[in-house]
Amino acid sequence: MAAREPQFNQQVLVDTTPMPADIPSVQEVGATSAPLTSAAYFIGDRCKAFNDDYMKCKQDANGRGEFECLKEGRKVTRCAASVIKDINTHCLKQFTAHWECLENNNHNLWECRKPEMELNKCVFDKLGLKKTIPGAPENQTPVHLRPKQIYAQFPGPQY
Amino acid sequence: MGVPFEALIPYGIIVGMFGLTGAGLTAVKWLGNEGKKARWNRDLWDRVMMERDLRITGTLRGQSGNAEAPKGFELSNPWKLEKRIY
Repeated sequence: MAAREPQFNQQVLVDTTPMPADIPSVQEVGATSAPLTSAAYFIGDRCKAFNDDYMKCKQDANGRGEFECLKEGRKVTRCAASVIKDINTHCLKQFTAHWECLENNNHNLWECRKPEMELNKCVFDKLGLKKTIPGAPENQTPVHLRPKQIYAQFPGPQY
Repeated sequence: MGVPFEALIPYGIIVGMFGLTGAGLTAVKWLGNEGKKARWNRDLWDRVMMERDLRITGTLRGQSGNAEAPKGFELSNPWKLEKRIY
């Protein structure tokens, strides 16, 4: 493995050799960018422990995290896939509406607060996952609960 | 005294030609984005994620909400190559 990232790369190499059998495999997450953006806060809510565990492992592995944290990495992947699967099972309509809105609006969350409110409500009722923005000030309304979004194309209340 | 109609022909040509190029560019943009609004102000993360979307769905603007990746996705990850710098 190279010691640094390639800077002026002209071509890419796709290596189709499968992983050796002694490394346990994991099914990759199949959601694309817009559904992942839509589900990101719910993944963060359910998988916080696994994600923190993985980041701590990478930090402690001293640069060998790709090899030594495979076990933690598989847990992260499985947890994220489980959230996507549960949302697809219980809130497919709201989820699809939200990520299609995101895909049509440059993945800007502030343009899609109305579908987001419906998705948040459905996910909280069915799965018990709540959207919280980490590091948001305690004494103010979080930005996703304000009816008026200052950067949105539509200037009035969003819902 | 009325304006002779020959004076208006160049204006017709000007409006028509600008309209033609505008319609053509709009059509190219619409087809290139598969009927969606174009992405703008993309940073490196967005470009990498759009490349990943292409590997999952097979189209440039396609999206998929499946929990499991299609078969062979885990082996389609590109490595960046560069010429050896001595």
